[in-house]
Amino acid sequence: MRKDADNWQLLQELFHLAEATPEADRERVLAEKCPDEELRRRAMDIFNASGVEEAEVAPAPIPAQVQFPSGKIGPYTLIRHVGTGGIGAVYLVERLMGGALQRSALKVLAPHSVGPAFVERFHREQHILASLDHPNITRMLDAGLSENGQPYLVMEYVDGVHLDAYCDARKLGIAERLQLFLRVCDAVAYAHRNLIVHLDLKPSNILVTSDGTVKLLDFGTSKLIEPDSLLTTTVMATPAYASPEQLRNEPVTTSCDIYALGAVLFELLAGSRPGHGASVAVMIERAIREQEPDRLPDAVTGAAAGDRGLSENRLRQLLAGDLATIAQKCLNPRPRDRYPSIDSLITDIQRYLGGRPVLARPQTALYRFSKFIRRHRGAAAATLLAAMALLASLGYAGWRQQQALRQGQRALRMQTFMYRLFKLANSNYTGKPSATVPEFLALGVKILPEYIKDPSDLREAQMGLAESMYENGDLDGAQKVLTQTVASAKAAKDIRAEAESEAFSGNIAYLQGQMEAGEALTAHALELSRKSGIPPSVRAWSAIFYAWNRDNNGYHSDENLRLLHFAVKECRDNNLSPRETADALYTLGQDLELRGRLDEAEQAFNGALQVYGQDPLALCDQSEVYGDLAYVTEMRGNVQGSLPLYQRAYEGYAKCSGAESRGALTEQEFWAGALMKLGRAQEALPMMETAMPTWRKLMGSSPDLAEPLYFLSKAYVETGHFPEGEKAARELVAVQEGKVAPTDRRFGASHLIWARALAGQHRDQEALPHAEIADKLLSTGSISAGAKQMSAEAHQLLLDIQARLAQK
Amino acid sequence: MTQPGEITLLLRDWNAGDPAVVEHLFELVYPQLRRIAGSLFRGERPENLLQPTSVVNELFLKLVRQRSLRFEDREHFYSLSARLMRRILVDQARSEGRQKRDGGTPVPLHADMAWIDARPAEMMDLDRVLEELEQLDPRKCRMVELRFFLGFTAEETAELLGASKATVDRELRFVRGWLYDRLHSS
Repeated sequence: MRKDADNWQLLQELFHLAEATPEADRERVLAEKCPDEELRRRAMDIFNASGVEEAEVAPAPIPAQVQFPSGKIGPYTLIRHVGTGGIGAVYLVERLMGGALQRSALKVLAPHSVGPAFVERFHREQHILASLDHPNITRMLDAGLSENGQPYLVMEYVDGVHLDAYCDARKLGIAERLQLFLRVCDAVAYAHRNLIVHLDLKPSNILVTSDGTVKLLDFGTSKLIEPDSLLTTTVMATPAYASPEQLRNEPVTTSCDIYALGAVLFELLAGSRPGHGASVAVMIERAIREQEPDRLPDAVTGAAAGDRGLSENRLRQLLAGDLATIAQKCLNPRPRDRYPSIDSLITDIQRYLGGRPVLARPQTALYRFSKFIRRHRGAAAATLLAAMALLASLGYAGWRQQQALRQGQRALRMQTFMYRLFKLANSNYTGKPSATVPEFLALGVKILPEYIKDPSDLREAQMGLAESMYENGDLDGAQKVLTQTVASAKAAKDIRAEAESEAFSGNIAYLQGQMEAGEALTAHALELSRKSGIPPSVRAWSAIFYAWNRDNNGYHSDENLRLLHFAVKECRDNNLSPRETADALYTLGQDLELRGRLDEAEQAFNGALQVYGQDPLALCDQSEVYGDLAYVTEMRGNVQGSLPLYQRAYEGYAKCSGAESRGALTEQEFWAGALMKLGRAQEALPMMETAMPTWRKLMGSSPDLAEPLYFLSKAYVETGHFPEGEKAARELVAVQEGKVAPTDRRFGASHLIWARALAGQHRDQEALPHAEIADKLLSTGSISAGAKQMSAEAHQLLLDIQARLAQK
Repeated sequence: MTQPGEITLLLRDWNAGDPAVVEHLFELVYPQLRRIAGSLFRGERPENLLQPTSVVNELFLKLVRQRSLRFEDREHFYSLSARLMRRILVDQARSEGRQKRDGGTPVPLHADMAWIDARPAEMMDLDRVLEELEQLDPRKCRMVELRFFLGFTAEETAELLGASKATVDRELRFVRGWLYDRLHSS
């Protein structure tokens, strides 16, 4: 011992050296390393001792009760010991019955377990088993007391193998495994109907006989569900399959079995247990932390794939979709988030096997309406390729369908409707080989009532179509449909649909410039959304549509900001789709931007980007946020820093909706604007000059053309091309005239450029009135940092012109 | 009996290396755990290992109720739990093994938990040898406790101690040989 302490390091080195050296060389190599023979011997002792561990481990003690002197228990002759269960040993026994030998399984209470609590449990098992009669549950045949007073149970003997071993030995595929699993579910569901929970479901408690019959064993830990039995159980379950609440010693319910079934399913499909390889201690830690389970496809191994007759990739692919969702739903750490009953689990598996979408879909509500609220960008471009919009509608339809699916039977009706709609749209119904998007949607509205009779389903579908119409830039059409929906929801007292349709309808009203109608509708929707039974996503969007529109139209109340924060929280707390959460964050950011709270806005935009980043399909949305982030960065004075952000926004848009899309053009003009601020108007000018024809094509003579004209004229002025600047500024004011209020700040900006173009040509006298208008209009109502800068610039220009004129 | 925060305070003291902490904690959790530990020596350990680990469970639940289990506590929490586990089993062995020593059979140090099939006398021998190991190499002693008393996997042990699995495996191979040799020679 003393010696070990002195040579501890060296002993270890010698030990590992011995490990690494073939036996023949060992003595020589060790001697080279260490001349001290005694020390070498010591190291070798340790080395030799390290090898014996497993071999000399005494086998688990044979249960004491195996020595039944007579070889008989009651009328049963013991054949062999087959295992040790939760509370006692199990034997294969036989008995002469009506002239034939009948084999059965006999379970006897271990002598040491004979105490009041165990005997009681034993009796309970007896009661439970006696009351169950199901082809997939082992039947109880008899019960009694042995000669020496030990209680025993006799059960149907099942000659089978464990569920997982059975499947692997036969290399069963996913569908076959699911069929067997459904038998297990049936048996457990039957027990639940009899108010019995199993509490120890695992593959080794599920046998499959050679003819493929599934038998559920060992209701040994099971529990009768009675209101007063919600006691914490002494945990006896097998940790790998035990629900977190069982591991936490909390009251058990049927939901524990649903969890265990999820774990069995997980292993049956992926080949390893959820959280496989964790020790019990860490399992308990996870249970207490309510850690989410592993994802099904992530648990796949090559060996498991082989056992299923598949390649690893193929298996992973098969397990990535609905099956992952189903397993996830069972394995949720919170019982309330699991399937409410085994029947609903069975339904989903059957749906999967039948190729139908499952009901457990993660909530993916995705209100593309949120796009309404995008500020600089206005309505969707009318010239979007019809095919692209159609694809969007299809995606949307799929989403709507999933939404509807959650409410059960609607699925089929929606599916039929969509199918008919596409068929009609592509047949001679319209007299054309394929319908344009507006035609397609109009057709949808028209035929909808023929396919969807249930008024509440009809409202859902109407809202869906209205959303698509909006997406396609048809605000009037969408509003018409939504007005119908609002009325029908009101009449039916369908508060949920009323809140949802009013919120959207109000938002459209705002976009159409009907501020009062918009405010009334969104305010009412907000009020309704506070009632109970309203889904979180409707709550969130009612708050957003109300608050954002109010703020965007000049009311800046703290209440509105609070509502937007609330919406973000709703999205997060309820795990709404990433896109909804990001949209909410983006709106919050825009509101903060509007209020000049740029630091907070930047934070919100970054939050939105983080969430959008999880969704590869959200490139357009992401680019939009990059645009805003760039703008905020620019406004905070970091113009240089805004350049790469604008570029990213522009390139993102160019990729997702084309370089000629409004989104790309908008980001490009702001990019140009930032360049000008850095004195790089030389670079900005060609950008604006090339973009202009596309802008004209897109906007016609709409006042929206003012935006690019502003940047173009500014680029001319700042590069010293004053006559061209004057011409562009003149056009700029012309497109605004009569369409923008004469007191609008935008006029001020236009006149500022005009004044600069004239002043640049030394026409101060002509420039003066423009400078005066600019100074007057820009000095009022400025909130944002950008507006303040511009106001200062206008005032300075006016002073300069006035000074020059005074000098003359 | 348990004051709010008491276990948290104990954990902090354990951080500072106070050996009295184990004794104190032992007294705190002993009543609930005595029964569980006792059943281990009666071969009543069927196919699950959960009952023994109820020690951990009990501790966890207490900590969580106090909302004080933080990540930085994790290493100390588990090390302390493992030590406590050992302490409880030794106590149990002492009271049960008073009758007779049967000796002879080596303590099985198999991969799951050392004490699973241990008899009282063996448990006390193991405890004594671990005491020696603690003097020689506290880190290895902790490793053994985590791995064999708390049932930590090699991966988990490595993660907790901030080592690689290969290192933990390597050290455990040595320490197993050493323990085994010590148990035999004494």
